[in-house]
Amino acid sequence: MTTRNDPIKHFFIWPALIIVLVISIFPLVYSLTTSFMSMRLVPPVPARFVGFGNYADLLQNPRFWHVAGTTTLIAFISVGLQYAIGLSVALALNSRVPGEGIFRVSFLLPMLVAPVAVALIARQVLNPTMGPLNELMSALGFPNLPFLTQTSWALGSIIAVEVWQWTPFVILMMLAGLQTLPDDVYEAAALENATPWQQFRDITFPMLLPISVAVVFIRLIESYKIIDTVFVMTGGGPGISTETLTLFAYQEGFKKFNLGYTSALSFLFLIVITVIGLVYLAILKPYLEKHK
Amino acid sequence: MSVRTLKGKRRWVALGGCLVWLAITFFPLYWVLITSFKTPIAVVGGPTYLPFVDFEPSLTAWRELLSGQRGQFYNTFLASTIIGLSASILATGIGAMAAYALVRFTFRFRLLSALIFVVIAFGGFLLGRNVLGFGQGISLIYAFIAALALAVFSSRFRLPGPELGNNDIVFWFVSQRMFPPIVAAFALYLMYTEMGKLGFKLVDSYIGLTFAYVAFSLPIVIWLMRDFFEALPVEVEEAAMVDNVPSWRIFFGIVLPMSKPGLIATFMITLAFVWNEFLFALFLTNSRWQTLPILVAGQNSQRGDEWWAISAAALVAIIPMMIMAGLLSRLMRSGLLLGAIK
Repeated sequence: MTTRNDPIKHFFIWPALIIVLVISIFPLVYSLTTSFMSMRLVPPVPARFVGFGNYADLLQNPRFWHVAGTTTLIAFISVGLQYAIGLSVALALNSRVPGEGIFRVSFLLPMLVAPVAVALIARQVLNPTMGPLNELMSALGFPNLPFLTQTSWALGSIIAVEVWQWTPFVILMMLAGLQTLPDDVYEAAALENATPWQQFRDITFPMLLPISVAVVFIRLIESYKIIDTVFVMTGGGPGISTETLTLFAYQEGFKKFNLGYTSALSFLFLIVITVIGLVYLAILKPYLEKHK
Repeated sequence: MSVRTLKGKRRWVALGGCLVWLAITFFPLYWVLITSFKTPIAVVGGPTYLPFVDFEPSLTAWRELLSGQRGQFYNTFLASTIIGLSASILATGIGAMAAYALVRFTFRFRLLSALIFVVIAFGGFLLGRNVLGFGQGISLIYAFIAALALAVFSSRFRLPGPELGNNDIVFWFVSQRMFPPIVAAFALYLMYTEMGKLGFKLVDSYIGLTFAYVAFSLPIVIWLMRDFFEALPVEVEEAAMVDNVPSWRIFFGIVLPMSKPGLIATFMITLAFVWNEFLFALFLTNSRWQTLPILVAGQNSQRGDEWWAISAAALVAIIPMMIMAGLLSRLMRSGLLLGAIK
């Protein structure tokens, strides 16, 4: 028996179904219909059907491409670093480094801190005059570094903060994955005198591939939504150089109340995420099947 | 002693790496902690690192915070706690029920029924708003009810087209997370405003914010709880079924107590998500039910670089989650979380 049939199943599933339907269908219906209209609340302009006008405007707006590029840059670099660091730490913890118990608990902490608080802490640490990092840099002989006020440094700082906050998630998941790997494969490998590097390359990494794919996928999607960290740390500045898609939508929607435009932007955003997700899964599918 | 345990030099290299990461993890937290005990003059004077050695700790920031000079901390803390707890409890309960149903029962419906739902919801909304001249709120309610009723009704017939099952429902739930939250938050704000015009106050209300958080936590809860339930041995339930125990008693009397660790872990993860959430709280609250992240973020814009006060405010949001992390780690150590995250 795997599954059974019983009318009570409806009682179990409908509460969740209704709640999610109510909350998800309205945003969908509302924003999709408004995305084809010209609609502003401030100053109030009567709604007018414009077809794909908003979409065309956006696709011709260099700011949109810039913002999409920035978000992609932040998402890919930070997720790549999170995965590299997270996997290494998980491997170390799984091979019982001394004091592993303490590491396990403390490594999780950043994940539980509110992103807003993390961004505020980052602003203190990176502060040019009162922050400790610039003092360290000066001691090492660097000039006072513009961590939040110059484009490349600001992007780097945001990526660093993302890595600090979300590597714990990768550690947690990869550790759980590592613990499900069977010991006998490693015993066989040890008999064959396989070096640790060979063991990692030919056993651990391939066997972890499915969970790795899932973890990176989740992180990528979540990273694309980034707003609170950027909002507090740089506010998108200097200029618009660190503005992300969600922040751009927030500016257009909540500051200018340009609803049609914002809705179209959101749908382009959804399309971007979906395309990236599909491409990502399509690229990795052959590898996943090879190691099954 | 596992074969995978590192030996010799590699072990020390790994330890060194872990210590470096530990320092990186802890330094910002340590920094915010000591800054909250610095005086304004000590903060402006440049970085200092050790209490009692290079600065005198003071309680200025905390005294200001607790006396209410820095905003309504008691109210906000209370609102955050109430909303966080109730949203997590509701989401875990409702989500666990749905996850259990998706693991143990068979659901089948045609893609066409789902399409009917979407088409009627869209069409009904547009029809009500543009042709019949109802308000947005009313059109939405009618369209939703009509769409749901017709979709359920249509599923009683043998419709053509592909058939969908349990995995598709799970995928649908999880895919809700892909929707950009800014769209959802903004549209929800407008929907709540419309409902407010009909007499249900949802903006800046307990019910409005809790409902939104429950809905947005459900995908994660269902995803996590499904793995837990799949890992449970089915024999116990089969034995109970042979004895003709009704399904609802199997679930509440046997399955739930068996999956207590999973429920606790899921509850905590949900609580952390709700507690730290920023965007929905920003849109859906303004005073009475404002949550901590909003108040903390506000400290920055209101007062400039008053780091001692900002640090204390940030700690109010951080500390409860740190306590929870301690509890969570005790669960982890006993291996109870393993099933959830594989």
